[in-house]
Amino acid sequence: MGAAGKLMSVQRDWRERDVRVVLVALVIAVATVATIALFASQLQRTLVTSASSFLAADRQLEAENGRPVPGEWLEEARARGLETGQMIEFSTMVFGNDRFQLVSAKAVSNEYPLRGQIEFQQQPAAPRVMRDEGPGPGEVWLNPRLLRLLDVSVGDSLEIGNRSLTITGLLVREPDGGFRLSALAPRLMMHADDVDSTGVLQEGSRVEHVYLFAGDSAALDGYYDWLKPRLEPSHEWEGVRDGETFSQSLQRAEQFLLLGGSLAVLLSAVAVAVASRQYAISQRDTVALLKTLGSPGGAIAGMYLRRLGLWGMAGILGGLALALPLYWVLANLLSEALARPVDIRVDPGALVPALLTALVSLFAFAYPPIRRLRSVPAMRVLRSQPGESGREALPDLLIAVSAMFGLVWLYARALPMVLAVFGGLLLLLGVLALIGWVLVSVLRRIRGGGQSWRLALVGLYRHRRASLSQLAVFSLTLMLAATLVLVRTSLLDDWQAQLPEDAPNHFLINIPTQTVDEIEAFWSERGYPMENFYPMVRGRLTELNGEAVKEAVSKDQRVSALNRELNMTWMESLPEDNRIIEGEWFSPGDTQGVSVEAELADKLGLKPGDRLTFTVGSDKVTETVTSIRTVQWDSMKPNFYMAFPPGGGLEGMPATWITSFYLPDNAKSILNEFSRQYPTVSVLEIDHIIARIQEIVGQVTQAIEAILVLVLAAALVVMAAVVSTTLRDRQREGALLRTLGARQALLVRSTMLEFALLGLIAGLVGTMAAEGAVWALQYGMFEGAFRWHWQVAVPIPLISAAVLAFLGRWQLLPVLRVSPMLMLRRLE
Amino acid sequence: MTDKTATPEQMDGPVLKVTDLTQQVNLEADTLTILQGVSLEINRGESVAIVGRSGSGKTTLLGLLAGLDTPSHGEVELEGRVISRLSEDERAALRARRIGFVFQSFQLLPALTALENVMLPLELAGSERADGKARELLERVGLGDRLRHTPRQLSGGEQQRVAIARAFASEPAILFADEPTGNLDNRTGRSISDLLMDLNHEQGTTLVMVTHDEQLAGRCQRRFSIEAGIVTEPGAEAHTEVVN
Repeated sequence: MGAAGKLMSVQRDWRERDVRVVLVALVIAVATVATIALFASQLQRTLVTSASSFLAADRQLEAENGRPVPGEWLEEARARGLETGQMIEFSTMVFGNDRFQLVSAKAVSNEYPLRGQIEFQQQPAAPRVMRDEGPGPGEVWLNPRLLRLLDVSVGDSLEIGNRSLTITGLLVREPDGGFRLSALAPRLMMHADDVDSTGVLQEGSRVEHVYLFAGDSAALDGYYDWLKPRLEPSHEWEGVRDGETFSQSLQRAEQFLLLGGSLAVLLSAVAVAVASRQYAISQRDTVALLKTLGSPGGAIAGMYLRRLGLWGMAGILGGLALALPLYWVLANLLSEALARPVDIRVDPGALVPALLTALVSLFAFAYPPIRRLRSVPAMRVLRSQPGESGREALPDLLIAVSAMFGLVWLYARALPMVLAVFGGLLLLLGVLALIGWVLVSVLRRIRGGGQSWRLALVGLYRHRRASLSQLAVFSLTLMLAATLVLVRTSLLDDWQAQLPEDAPNHFLINIPTQTVDEIEAFWSERGYPMENFYPMVRGRLTELNGEAVKEAVSKDQRVSALNRELNMTWMESLPEDNRIIEGEWFSPGDTQGVSVEAELADKLGLKPGDRLTFTVGSDKVTETVTSIRTVQWDSMKPNFYMAFPPGGGLEGMPATWITSFYLPDNAKSILNEFSRQYPTVSVLEIDHIIARIQEIVGQVTQAIEAILVLVLAAALVVMAAVVSTTLRDRQREGALLRTLGARQALLVRSTMLEFALLGLIAGLVGTMAAEGAVWALQYGMFEGAFRWHWQVAVPIPLISAAVLAFLGRWQLLPVLRVSPMLMLRRLE
Repeated sequence: MTDKTATPEQMDGPVLKVTDLTQQVNLEADTLTILQGVSLEINRGESVAIVGRSGSGKTTLLGLLAGLDTPSHGEVELEGRVISRLSEDERAALRARRIGFVFQSFQLLPALTALENVMLPLELAGSERADGKARELLERVGLGDRLRHTPRQLSGGEQQRVAIARAFASEPAILFADEPTGNLDNRTGRSISDLLMDLNHEQGTTLVMVTHDEQLAGRCQRRFSIEAGIVTEPGAEAHTEVVN
């Protein structure tokens, strides 16, 4: 290897501090992004699996027209490597122990459930066990309520139509026990093969065929693409993200992970940019020397380009070597937290962002300052030249900002998120410019105070150039970290608010108008007052502005809500968790108009002023849309697509009443008494759904905390890297100050104060910008109103002041340990 | 802390007294002796040169005399105080009040302007008029029009002038200079040594200078030689305190 070759070896580079910082930053960049991406994809799989169990599959196909789908559809699915299963849901009368009872029956094939497990009891007093399959042919499982209603026991037989089935156990909980009206009646589960022999399903019977599909998502998507043109309006393809009660929570969690990943990308890029700029500055003398020795600019540029390539490879390898074990640890922690094994798998797709991050970091952040090295004048060897002015760095900044934009876009693919983060950045730059001005013009006029304080201020002023650029990086870092903390906080708060401990977990449905007061009294006497009773009228939307709805709405707009009967109500005041987004809520005394739920209105393209016609039984009602309102579907309270004013269009229509309330586990026996007293009122128990949602929220919370810790750690490393860029100067200064007679304590105090001030300012600016970004994010993505978060805005500046003071103290260590003489010689 | 006048006891006797000073460095296998049994006395207002070849131990001696380092054996007494027995902070306080430095490589802080570099020791000593005094000194060394320039914008000779202004800023009793002209050409070196001598004379400072420049050494009142860690004062019986 020639001398020039030696100049380029990574080994030699490693001996240079700035290169070490670039490499460490790269390794961190790759490691953080790869870890987050791997973990996020892991979490995604875990979440989807656990959410899938709500469907008992990854996807469901519902046929609401009462007819099975063509057999070739299922064959196609199996040919594509998907697992399939089938359920038939219907209502029927059953006979047992001399009693008749209307039940909601669910007949399942052998494969059911494809995802999740069935909670089962052998006997009413036996422990609950989880099972992977439903009842076999000839068997039937009843839910405990049905068992009580019929007064039958396990082992007895139950007649369904022409068949007699043996009761072999209790159905405690179905994995897909969603919130459906068909689940209201007492429940039984039987084998699908037995359905025909019962003879209860006749032409025109109200029956729903549901098909279950499971497999990897590419195959599922491919199958859906095949299936889509074949579907009829009565067919509904359901994935976990559609219409389920927890889908909003899931979506937000996903967005949070993406946000976390994007911020990690930005943090790493900042570290690379800072370190490489420092490196470029340190390389000027070498470049000048090479030029003096006759190296042309092109050759020098080529040398540094090859060097960057080498660093890139070293960074990627090092980063992956760190990320894989880290991911393994996190995945295992997740597994422990969930108390079940998780599928630990390195998804190669998840590594792509990491590799791209490394390359973009190198070429958009590290290369520009290094590229400019070729224009360093050879004269520099003889006489030191003035350093770079800010103007030369401006194109770098533009390249860096566009690259950041691109990276975040690549990572999150959500424009509002990208815009919010960059809006925050702009705010940050504005405030920093102001602070720069303050540093220059105000700091040097400050007089008085103790000696350490004065030295600290003088230090800030004197290092204003370095301080300001460090301040920019610190505040950027803190802004990114604070954004994540804030989003996490508001996300968790939102979930907490949505599902408080006493969230309603039981619904009473089909309450006849005349018994509403009685029922309210029944529960009040037992200490469980009802919040609100809502009348419920079921009807279909048939006309839109006088045109039949089927013609008025194009096929791809056609929504499932139109195929079913809609839940409609009348109410005087807007429920707490609903929000009017267009038009106005009814004034007292109004008897005209209808308020439409926002998503449905959006799908149908409704706006205030449109005229809707509903068919209720044999009656028709026509009303004008007066408002559009959002509804919290996951609030576990009764929610309605259509709301009329009292005395309005629904006046005189046959209505039943509905309410929801919280009943603790230990009071569930009251339900038996209630059911005996009011046999026609249906009780819908959704406590298990709430438990599942809370479990999922718990998992996501864990993941969010883990990612937050990662990002904060990355932020800390960035800050340490930035502090270390001026390490040499600071140490030299420290040694010189000691030589000139500064006491250790004074040196320590003033340095810590100076850094703490820097940290405090950076913390304040960072959180301020973060609040701005979060405000924008909340408007764009996460719902909820903006507010200041003192619980974040106060501690973050304090913590950053403490961390920086500590870092300042840390960099002084060698200065304090070694004699100043030795230190000066060492640093010469 | 800002008291610059010496006490009566400081006025009498030698300003610097070195007794049997030995400095050793422990290497892996054996011990390297850098200075061996050095004893000498320097009186107030004297100018003293310590000459020797590279590696003879002269910079180490200077560091020990100035209390920047502590000796393996022996004592250094500065104005009657044994500085090797002082704590690091006490030595720092002593340096701030009584000692000035001029280095071969100038040791200016690159981030600071000429003015700020000179203000540094004044601020450390808590001086109220650091700014004014620093300006006066820079005027005195001929850099009145370069106050706002950073070291990078100054030539070597100008940087050393700033360093000299800084060294005299705290009105030290003793000024230690380590090869002050070592990095400069002859002519600049001469003007720097002129400046150093003049200021030393004006302020009545004791000057202890390490150099290998015989001409510069010749301008000092006394001259010590150092070779292989052993110090001699050739041809000066009256002052001696020499040797092994």
